Amino acid sequence: MADITVTINGNQITGHAGITILELAKENSIDIPTLCYCPDLPPMGACRLCVVEVAGSKALVGSCHTPISQGMVIQTHSPKVMATRKIIIELLLASHSGFCTVCDKSNICELRKLAMDMDIGLSRFQSKKRYFPIEDISPYITRDLSKCVLCRRCLQICNEVAKKRVFGIGYRGFNSKVIVDLDQPIDKEVCRDCGLCITSCPTGALSNPAQIGEEKKGTPLVIRG
Amino acid sequence: MRNGFGISMNKSEETISISNNNGENLLVLLEEEQRKSGYLSQEFITALAQSLDTPVSEIYGVISFYSFLSNKLQGRNIIRICKNLPCFLKNSELIIKCITQELGIKPGQTTPDGRFTLVLTNCIGACDKAPAMMINNDIYGDLTPQKITKILESYK
Amino acid sequence: MPEKHIVLRNCGVINPEDLTSYTARGGFQALKKALSIGPEQIIKEIKESGLRGRGGAGFPCGLKWEFTRNTKEQSKYLICNADEGEVGTFKDHFILENDPFSLIEGIAIASYAIGVKKSYIYLRGEYHNLSGRLQNAINQAKENKFLTHVNIEIREGAGAYVCGEESALMDSIEGKRGEARFKPPFPTDKGLWQKPTVINNVETLMNIPQIILNGAAWFNQIGTERSKGTKVFSVSGDVACPGVYELILGSSLKELLINISQSDNIKVVQIGGATGRLVPGTAIDTPLSFESVLGAGSITVFNETRNIMDIVYHTMEFLAEESCGKCTPCREGTEVMKLIIDKFRCGNGTQHDMQLLTELSSAMSLASLCGLGQAAPNVITDSMQYFRDVYESLIPANLRGVKA
Repeated sequence: MADITVTINGNQITGHAGITILELAKENSIDIPTLCYCPDLPPMGACRLCVVEVAGSKALVGSCHTPISQGMVIQTHSPKVMATRKIIIELLLASHSGFCTVCDKSNICELRKLAMDMDIGLSRFQSKKRYFPIEDISPYITRDLSKCVLCRRCLQICNEVAKKRVFGIGYRGFNSKVIVDLDQPIDKEVCRDCGLCITSCPTGALSNPAQIGEEKKGTPLVIRG
Repeated sequence: MRNGFGISMNKSEETISISNNNGENLLVLLEEEQRKSGYLSQEFITALAQSLDTPVSEIYGVISFYSFLSNKLQGRNIIRICKNLPCFLKNSELIIKCITQELGIKPGQTTPDGRFTLVLTNCIGACDKAPAMMINNDIYGDLTPQKITKILESYK
Repeated sequence: MPEKHIVLRNCGVINPEDLTSYTARGGFQALKKALSIGPEQIIKEIKESGLRGRGGAGFPCGLKWEFTRNTKEQSKYLICNADEGEVGTFKDHFILENDPFSLIEGIAIASYAIGVKKSYIYLRGEYHNLSGRLQNAINQAKENKFLTHVNIEIREGAGAYVCGEESALMDSIEGKRGEARFKPPFPTDKGLWQKPTVINNVETLMNIPQIILNGAAWFNQIGTERSKGTKVFSVSGDVACPGVYELILGSSLKELLINISQSDNIKVVQIGGATGRLVPGTAIDTPLSFESVLGAGSITVFNETRNIMDIVYHTMEFLAEESCGKCTPCREGTEVMKLIIDKFRCGNGTQHDMQLLTELSSAMSLASLCGLGQAAPNVITDSMQYFRDVYESLIPANLRGVKA
């Protein structure tokens, strides 16, 4: 297998042909934030958080889906890239009706963690908030789409790993939504208790049904900014 | 392999049959049914899902993506009025107001007798004849309030 | 004279329902010549002619064909993009209505050159009425043994603007939601059903027969250095004579709008529809070419009485509605932009909002997945550049000059 040498942040790095920029960065402990990326599954390129600057390309490129090529010059944390990532997170926060204080997953929430890493407190943008009723009729899973960031990881895991194909994407644009059947609440008929989607969900959109007296997972996150 | 089989099922004594499926044709099948029945019934979606071995959520995802497909019963005639800039410049808002008054319904609604469904749509490619609208597949341009009554009368 | 009919040469002259009237005007002679000179020579001619894609991106057509021809894959596809959804565009409608045969001939030549056995015409759902005429043209060409090497199928869209974007278009033909795909891989490598695919605009393919008949050198001497040939424009809005006009590339906006379609008091012109650019009336001498502005050739004219904020708001509203919703910047960004513009429209803007618009525009054009999201902020950046005073006048007096 031919090896390819690229320059990341000024350092020459060699990797196997065919791997993506993100995979090479991970191998070399360069941290690129991601949201929709699921290791070992086909990339979706939907969240755009993993964008990096590649010399010669006018727009930023998604590192999760762009294979490395000989002589590529990549910047993973240039000011342009950081500003763009920050705006993406702020956009997600703007439409996220996040009641973090009462969210079971608030301490392990990837959206909060990303916001924290980027020093984002409140989003500067104002958008429509997504409000949906909480779906808690299934004994295995509680779904609160108000907290969904449309990363599609649940869809990916359910289709590719669990092979149940429970979820789909419905509608379009801002109204896009992860749907079950004809946009019905998730119930025990369609889904058994594999729980893969719950673990894969970065926010509190999918969670285990609440147990009385259960404590929040993880240690509290401190938000600056 | 999914090709070459046909399925049939009884729905109140009429038969829905789906044939010649390559999986690739999901959109084509939905369009055909939409033209034939005017909407995509839950029975049809479920039957299609079974025959194509595709989840219902995926089919509904396609239906809800395209604005010409609908899973709700619509009027016999669908009026689509263009609301984009070229028509807006030629006072399409007056035409919209005129039609809503004439039919007594708002955009997105269907008349109680099931004769018309009114929707606002994006550019229909008749900007030189703005303001324009489509009724079913026919395009009407250079609309004026006077013309509207006459056009609507020709649809039963 | 800047007007020249290459693409529209048969429109209004032939009977679009009857193939014999087309052959009487020299129809299918180009195909005959193409079959005799062979695929390599055809691609060479198209490359030398300098023909660039007419859908807006302007990629060299011959190069696209060559990439796909040279792949090892046996099955490959040609798609004719007739999903003309851009606001203010109706040229393809006019072409298909008046001269479907030239398109069929163009597809036949392209298919032969690339080595494609199956071609699709993706017709937008709104043009359902044209599919009969188009199918009739295919049938007549087939009966006359012009399509022995390729099978042409019409596929119809169902009302989604984003399906005019090439990757979304392929998903739509595959029967899925029309969502954009990331690139690379490019369609010429992995397109429809992951096979090499060429996607050409209707107008691009209309040029092919004439280039083959008259030669690359003939085509190459028309137009400017990097924009060869003619372009068909759809003119609408505040003009005396709206309609479809074909001009030599490089002609100025003035020639099209003042001399031909007779408009006056122009405040601003939107070129290329919702994702296109704004050109103020003062820049009426702007040439129309790939080097300057072009898009898919839609020209919407706004006179002095029009409100800039109405233009921007309607454009953003359209884009927010038509975004596919897959990638974050476009899905969330178009909605946020629409809301900010609405604030300005009501006279409630702030300096801070203008700063936000600038930052958001840059992030969206840098990070969005497809051309829709990348070009969505154009109307905002252009209007802020040329009509900054309008934005500022919509900030309440007590907030002016206040930085957030």
